[in-house]
Amino acid sequence: MSSNSEMIAYEQVCIIVDFGKGSKIMQTAKKHGISGGTILVGKGTVKNRLLEMLGINDIRKEIIILVSDKSTVHHAIEQLDKQFKFSKPNHGIVFTTSIYRVLGAKCMKETINEESGVNNTMYHAITVIVEKGNAELVIDAANEAGSKGGTIINARGSGIHETSKLFSMTIEPEKELVLILSEKESTENIISSIRSKLKIDEPGNGIIFIQDVNKTYGLYQ
Amino acid sequence: MNVIVHKFKEVLYAVLPITFIVLLLNFTLAPLDNISMFIRFIIGSIFIIVGLSIFLFGVDIGITPIGQLMGKTIAKSNKVWIVLIAGLLLGFFISIAEPDLHILAGQVDFVTSGVISKSLIVVVVSIGIGALIALGLVRIVFNIPLYKILTVLYFIILVLAIYTSPEFLAISFDASGATTGALTVPFILALALGISSMKKDSKASEKDSFGLVAIASTGAIIAVLLMNIISKTEEITGGIEAQAEGTLSVIGPFLHEFPKITKEIIIALLPILIIFLVFQKISFKMSRKAVRKIVVGLVFTFIGLVLFLVGVNAGFMDVGREIGYSIASLDRKAYLIIVAFVLGLVTILAEPAVHVLTHQIEDVTSGYVRRNVVMFSLCIGVGLAVALSILRILIPELQLWHYLLPGYIIAIALTYIVPKLFVGIAFDSGGVASGPMTATFILAFVQGAAEAIEGANVLVDAFGMIAMVALTPLITLQIVGLIFKMKSKKVGLEKDVQ
Repeated sequence: MSSNSEMIAYEQVCIIVDFGKGSKIMQTAKKHGISGGTILVGKGTVKNRLLEMLGINDIRKEIIILVSDKSTVHHAIEQLDKQFKFSKPNHGIVFTTSIYRVLGAKCMKETINEESGVNNTMYHAITVIVEKGNAELVIDAANEAGSKGGTIINARGSGIHETSKLFSMTIEPEKELVLILSEKESTENIISSIRSKLKIDEPGNGIIFIQDVNKTYGLYQ
Repeated sequence: MNVIVHKFKEVLYAVLPITFIVLLLNFTLAPLDNISMFIRFIIGSIFIIVGLSIFLFGVDIGITPIGQLMGKTIAKSNKVWIVLIAGLLLGFFISIAEPDLHILAGQVDFVTSGVISKSLIVVVVSIGIGALIALGLVRIVFNIPLYKILTVLYFIILVLAIYTSPEFLAISFDASGATTGALTVPFILALALGISSMKKDSKASEKDSFGLVAIASTGAIIAVLLMNIISKTEEITGGIEAQAEGTLSVIGPFLHEFPKITKEIIIALLPILIIFLVFQKISFKMSRKAVRKIVVGLVFTFIGLVLFLVGVNAGFMDVGREIGYSIASLDRKAYLIIVAFVLGLVTILAEPAVHVLTHQIEDVTSGYVRRNVVMFSLCIGVGLAVALSILRILIPELQLWHYLLPGYIIAIALTYIVPKLFVGIAFDSGGVASGPMTATFILAFVQGAAEAIEGANVLVDAFGMIAMVALTPLITLQIVGLIFKMKSKKVGLEKDVQ
């Protein structure tokens, strides 16, 4: 990893845990060589008949995003796993994805990661961005097709058609971003279910993209 | 089940401290000689814990979504007159149904011997709140800075206060605390959040999510002050209402409170439900599943709030008065001040609207401003407020305005240097802090203390406590804002990119 000619592979780690744990995980990650990260607040859904009936099946989550080179990442998540026990049920989910390029982080040299085609991926990360209020429909559609759950993150943004002005405030429509982890075999089912239920192919209804996942912790059948 | 356990735990941490402190006092300084009162207090605590948990779920899935949707719908109309009229009507109907306002109006009616009738006060205060909510909404859509509006509003209050009798000064500030109750606060907060969350500029959207409660509270103050000046009531005749003798029955008070509070909460929730159904018909057009969820949320809100209020009124009120009385009868007055401080500290934890506000702060700032930080500074603030109010009872020369005037001057001055996000948070907290817990338990405590101390006027001295509770958080939370500002300067790096 010392020479420049050698390609350094970068990975993104995404950790989803209950609200309040985020800062602790970030501190531990920093101790193990990760230089920094970003924490988002989202909500997860709980699959439980009674709670769904009562309408309280949401739980607040924090999503931690870290980026570093492959070996640091692997070392750090091993350590995090030891401390936070992701492999136990309900202790959180970790997955990593490959990154093409990193800029703006001084400690990481700008390199282009050409190592694509990760071997033996078992999972996909599906990201769906829809109008605010539709995220639950996405989760419902995904669950019907065999997904186990998902995380919803509030967001806002606009396509080329969507900026407008009300009074003196510029408006950006609110969106929701849904993150779903799926086994490779069921990915196709899940996205086609979402695609048809939310009519994603019609303009303005949303966007789906899928990433390969390298490593996971805390997923179980 | 994780979700329920989580919420339950949070509420337990909020209610147990006050229960513990009261038990401690019972076994040390202020033994309750009435065993049924003691049992009632325990039952009341259980009611409060269960009620508060259910209520918070209800707010999450019922009140907050309605408020947010409403805010967005109003803003999307893109017409100023719609924003104004919608703000006025929403504010009016939300406030006119608030049970606390009716209690306060009843007291004013009583002390003025009917010169100012109850219904007149309710209507006038509601108009005041409606007008100021309209102003607050306009402020958000036109990006007018909160601190400027607050400066102007409090200047108006200052001028009006000069022409008002001291009793009415206390009543007017109490009114502002009373009208922003457990139901109105979540709704008003959500309304502001709904509008401001659409803004493209995320910094502006963050800070404009707060401040509407603050502006609404000034509406009540201004309305009562104006009414006093116009009607020129000089004399305040009454004493405190004759207290019901401490009954020996354990469940009697619960049975007595239950139907009364149920009725009050139905009336308070009704406008929100009706407004929702009307908007659903003409503009939201949500799916049946979504509507069902919100209606379930309203039912939760209802059940939770009834349980909570029954617990407070039947279980806590008498205990508060009793403790206040017996501690004030002790020779060492220092005890009284210390106990007042501690009670203020722990009572605020169990205040429903405080939970709603602190969660919203965490959500809006993505966890940058933690609940615990806000809670902690609120606790200190309210503890100080109660202690200062007791001090005023002990020292008759101390007038309410001796606190309020410098207090508000400091609070307003701070708005110019504190990060703007914290200005909104602090002024909202002021309105939020004085909820049902303070208005019953702490007020009873202060009144009990005033009864025991010779030369104290129960009416003049005990009123104004809520005003203090509404004031001190403005200062403590803004100081926290200053600390945040100093702490968050990045260390060891060159200048920020912006």
